[in-house]
Amino acid sequence: MKHGFRRTREDYVIDGIVYAILIAVMIATIYPFYYSLIISLNNGIDASRGGIFFWPRIFTWDNYEAVFSNDQLIKAYGVTIARTLIGTVSSLAFTALVAYSLAHKGLMFKNYYFLIFIIAMYFSGGLIPYFILIKKLHLMNTFAVYIIPDLLSVFNVIIMMSFFRELPEALKESARIDGASDLRTFLRIMLPLSAPVLATIALFNGVGHWNAWFDSAYFVNDKSLKTVSFLLMELINKANLTAVTGANTVDAQRSATYAAQTFTAESIRMATMIIVVIPIICVYPFLQKYFVKGIMVGSVKG
Amino acid sequence: MPANHQSEVLANSGSAKRVWRRLRQQKFYQISVLIGIAYLLVFAYVPMVGLIIAFKNFKLSSGIPGFFTSEWVGFKWFLEFYRDISFWQIIRNTVVISLLKILFTFPIPILFAIALNEVRKEGLKRFAQTASYLPHFISWVVVSGMLFSFLNSQNGVVNQLLMAVGWIDKPISFLASASYFWPMLVLSDIWKEMGWWTIIFLAAIAGVDPTLHEAAVVDGAGRMQRILYVTLPSIKTTIIVVLILALGNLFGGGLGGSNFEQAYLLGNPVNNSVSEIIQTYTLKMGLAQGRYSYATAIGLIQSVISLTLILVSNYSAKKASGVGLF
Repeated sequence: MKHGFRRTREDYVIDGIVYAILIAVMIATIYPFYYSLIISLNNGIDASRGGIFFWPRIFTWDNYEAVFSNDQLIKAYGVTIARTLIGTVSSLAFTALVAYSLAHKGLMFKNYYFLIFIIAMYFSGGLIPYFILIKKLHLMNTFAVYIIPDLLSVFNVIIMMSFFRELPEALKESARIDGASDLRTFLRIMLPLSAPVLATIALFNGVGHWNAWFDSAYFVNDKSLKTVSFLLMELINKANLTAVTGANTVDAQRSATYAAQTFTAESIRMATMIIVVIPIICVYPFLQKYFVKGIMVGSVKG
Repeated sequence: MPANHQSEVLANSGSAKRVWRRLRQQKFYQISVLIGIAYLLVFAYVPMVGLIIAFKNFKLSSGIPGFFTSEWVGFKWFLEFYRDISFWQIIRNTVVISLLKILFTFPIPILFAIALNEVRKEGLKRFAQTASYLPHFISWVVVSGMLFSFLNSQNGVVNQLLMAVGWIDKPISFLASASYFWPMLVLSDIWKEMGWWTIIFLAAIAGVDPTLHEAAVVDGAGRMQRILYVTLPSIKTTIIVVLILALGNLFGGGLGGSNFEQAYLLGNPVNNSVSEIIQTYTLKMGLAQGRYSYATAIGLIQSVISLTLILVSNYSAKKASGVGLF
């Protein structure tokens, strides 16, 4: 904006403040991840003495070896990958179909349908009636409890609908004239054109599934069906307990029993956290050009 | 409702035959939407109907029909909650945590968006922004794990740092103390959601007509004046819309909707007096103790207040500025 003009004192002051904010935010955001990483790569017993800030003091893979030798965690990782893939794809397909159909020009009874969707978005039965429903549908303790209750989100339907509405009506017409069925038009023409909004919703859904722990904690008892976020939640509950009881009794017991081991509750927790976080860190930067638009539409229409 | 609509359509299109033909033409769309609605009826509307057990004596063994067949008890559960010794504490915690979050979490993304907009180096700007919303995609479980590592009194980074600069003599037990709990919730909420909500404000700022800025420059406005008198007023609408959204979810925890997870994951026996909120109490009473009707009644109180808030904040925003969501 200031092409060619000389920088005033105000410019220097504002630039100074802005860059200070920027650097502070970047450090505050990135450092906790970096710190978790170096602690997870450090000898746990050594790390509990403190003093590690920039790089591991005694480097080791022990924490990761311990985490990966835990059968339950490996199983949980598999369950989490499965629920994320199946859950995201099925919910994306269902949501897209419903949103596309609702966005159809001249759809009869449209206003009544909208009303039903909007009410479902703003009112909710809350936790207890929902729990009773899940129980009575016999979804408890099944893999399906991770998938079916999340198949359709009204919020996502609305985001997608506003996208589908912008697609040219003429495309539908010409496909029909060429003899394509409605389903075929939807699958072969409209869906490929909707890649940005599909990627956005897929990211929201995928991250939601990956991070979910509540359903695993309260709707599933079977240990082999637990998700990795739930196991991490258990580790964090233990840390919470340790913080309250003051003495690091859990760690003390462990090192007393297995004197040869180098890891502690904290180092195991950090390694597990890194394993949970890495897939997300790898995926989200590539999808960001899509979801910026997604969040805009969602917030304004939401 | 359907009968009413039918006659309307009939009046519009002339004959039932034409209505049928139109319906058949859009068979694919109608069926797809109806499947979606059937799904919502089961997963959204059945639980809504289930709310009536707040006024009943519901037993789990009676199942879904029990929503209707169990005996009415009026406001018994609401009164019981009101007489509970922790009633005022739970209400206070829910309200105070929610208000603190709106107060401190809401303005930060606006400020950060303005700061980012003043950065001229595109690469740096994009990197800072990408980094800033990484925490949005990370679960509260992981964030809590980080908090436990940073704030613990044994080898926590924060305590080590404060001791090193000499502000404190011995470690503060942030995690096992009631007085640090609320600041910890607010700060971690800012850390997690700031970058995400910045996206929306930054996009709004990018949409500001550049000629406004040029005119301001010609009139001799400095950068600070342009921020205050051009940028901020231009994104007023966006600010109001996001504020309505945040207020609508006030007791859920504002923009991030984080009250439950924070209170659940970071709450413990020591900070219980400041961490127990309606949502965690509902969970305890309902799923842990099996007092379904009682827990539903408590949850219903929050739902009713939240719904009122959405309607009121939307109405007043519309009245004040002509901007509303519905």
